[in-house]
Amino acid sequence: MIYALAVHGAPYSSNAAEHALGFADALLARGHQIERVFFFHEGVYQGLNGTVPPQTRYNVNLAQRWQSLRSGGTELAVCIASGIKRGVVDENEQERYDLPSHTLSNMFELVGLGQLISAIAAADRYVEFPA
Amino acid sequence: MKRYLFIVSRPPYGSSFAAEQLEAALVAAALDGDVAILLRDDGVWGLQHHQSAEAIQQPTLTKTLSGLPTYEIERLFVCARSLESRGIEPDQTLGFEAIGYAEQQALISSSDVVIGGQR
Repeated sequence: MIYALAVHGAPYSSNAAEHALGFADALLARGHQIERVFFFHEGVYQGLNGTVPPQTRYNVNLAQRWQSLRSGGTELAVCIASGIKRGVVDENEQERYDLPSHTLSNMFELVGLGQLISAIAAADRYVEFPA
Repeated sequence: MKRYLFIVSRPPYGSSFAAEQLEAALVAAALDGDVAILLRDDGVWGLQHHQSAEAIQQPTLTKTLSGLPTYEIERLFVCARSLESRGIEPDQTLGFEAIGYAEQQALISSSDVVIGGQR
């Protein structure tokens, strides 16, 4: 089956990312496809290029895990409307708003809300990971 | 074309969640069609009379809600129990139909996709 996923929580505060990543790994292991992972609301902070994982017993590195999902061909799409007002910007938006730096990790893309709807429209299932 | 149901459970102010969710509903209506909205839990505060969010320098969510039919979002519902437990007499001009749990269940099962189903 084809799945569309959405992540609504920020890294290391909500567990939305851990849950979404675990679900995504399980889907791919079972031979399903992921149309797109869409980061919405506070989920856009997952796209930051400068997160430092807290040192815990389990040393979960979300950026590395998103990277390995991306390397496997899954599209990671950050909502541009939710993103730019929170300071999650790529080079284009940095230039457009004359900002001191870009903050979006290069494994993510800034896209419009239409990409959430088109992913859902193309998928058999939509699963959301709340904040 | 899919049947979308957006469930808004968060209050209209205090976080941008409800406003961002309604933006997604407008985009869904523009791109792929059939959209319904259900307000429940603290989402029902959106129907309270006499809101003026200018006082907190925020857009008034009622204005977005009243504009939904313009975007062809005409299936508008609100959880009767959530209104009742908060003592809210909804602004009828916004056109939301109060429904019980059985009708909400039917609404959910008749939708292809539910967005914002959790609180």
